[in-house]
Amino acid sequence: MTEKQIRILYIDDEEHNLQSFKASFRKQYNITTTTSVVEAETFMEQKDFHIILADQKMPGMTGTQFFEKIRVRFPEPIRILITGHTDISAAIDAINKGEVFRFIDKPWDYTYVENAITHAFEIFSTRAELKQRNLDLEKAYEELDKFVYSASHDLRAPLMSVLGIVNLALMEENVESQNEYLDLIKQSVKKLDTFIINIIDYYKNARGVATITPINFEELVNDVTEAIKYLPEFENIEMTTDIKQTGVFESDMMKLRIIFNNLITNAVKFQDTKKEKSFIKLTILATPAHTSITFEDNGLGIKKDDLEKIFKMFYRAGATNSGSGIGLYIVHEAINKLEGEIKVTSTLGEGSIFEINIPSVNK
Amino acid sequence: MTAQFDFILIDDSAFDLFIYEKLIIKSGIGNSVRPFNSAQDALEYLASEGENLPEIVILLDLQMPGMNGFEFIEQFDLLPEHIKEKIRIYMLSSTIDTRDIDKAKASASIIDLLSKPLEIGVLKTILIN
Repeated sequence: MTEKQIRILYIDDEEHNLQSFKASFRKQYNITTTTSVVEAETFMEQKDFHIILADQKMPGMTGTQFFEKIRVRFPEPIRILITGHTDISAAIDAINKGEVFRFIDKPWDYTYVENAITHAFEIFSTRAELKQRNLDLEKAYEELDKFVYSASHDLRAPLMSVLGIVNLALMEENVESQNEYLDLIKQSVKKLDTFIINIIDYYKNARGVATITPINFEELVNDVTEAIKYLPEFENIEMTTDIKQTGVFESDMMKLRIIFNNLITNAVKFQDTKKEKSFIKLTILATPAHTSITFEDNGLGIKKDDLEKIFKMFYRAGATNSGSGIGLYIVHEAINKLEGEIKVTSTLGEGSIFEINIPSVNK
Repeated sequence: MTAQFDFILIDDSAFDLFIYEKLIIKSGIGNSVRPFNSAQDALEYLASEGENLPEIVILLDLQMPGMNGFEFIEQFDLLPEHIKEKIRIYMLSSTIDTRDIDKAKASASIIDLLSKPLEIGVLKTILIN
């Protein structure tokens, strides 16, 4: 924040004091002045001030009384009292009742006032920052709580399924049918493994250090497809890619990989088996400054009600074949970190389009 | 001969529905099993069957997308008395969260909280006594 954005309210019943203050500091600070304590309160309702200066000796109300009055309703601004004659009991009141930060002696000295304002603003900023940090922490705790709750479910559920299958298999006398149970166990274990990989991705994305490299989208897409083409459902889907890349686009490969992996896997997982041919069309247009990526599929589509919630942590849309609700959340987080945007349009039964825009890291 | 019951299973996991349906049938405790992968669908079924429902045992999962187990109970409580009195609900979940456990215990409509995997011996004892 530059100094000019420091917002100061100065209250003094003597107009010429206000004028000389303005004349000295108007280039430096954003100054509002008034001779009336009533008007001062109106100003404070309309505008957030960082620092409030008040003259002690005013008719009707002293500066200290004014501070005492506004302190509860407007606790944030830092209060500075300007006083011509300091008597000790007035000073005690100013500190105890008005909670002032500084006294400024009349006639005031330019450097002294500037100094007081600089320090007052530092205190204001530190407090504001602390408040923000506290809010961030509260949010982080809340998310952590939710995370532990859902993660423990998603880690245990597949294991409990496996135990259930084992119970069932033990009741079976026909040894031949054991293969069916083994296959179920395999699927359940894979589900658990996918979840663990997602959690690691999430962690890397949230806490890991980004490494910025030139991105070759052709290679990236090949790498990702290579890894997921072993999914049994991949055989049934036709994937077409249209990649146009000019010049060097720099970004965080890890995050892009997370984005591509999740969105392609989703298109594969949520394909509509009732349709004759399932497809996913991937379009990438990359320039040195900016890349736009579109994933279009003719899969199951997303319900209107679900559209705004799919990027939330652990939100699972639909009951059939649903995942743990973490994939798109990680995608969203990764795009946020890259300062990009994601937009989704979808019609239930027809398919979905995910459009992503990402600026180059060195834009 | 052991008593037989008609079951409704509510679970979003296709695996678990499959496993518990088989387990109930194989163990001989189940006369019929009707699986639902959405609590909403199950609720609609109960409401629409109304008078025609036999005595039913429901095994209800907790964490499900859309309507979860507790939300199902809230809606279930609003059903007419003559439907509710035919139904016994057991929650079947892998949860180890104490808030969930306390909430399930405090609910008047949930007879007991059973942990996954379902031990068929335990279920038999509970249902017959």
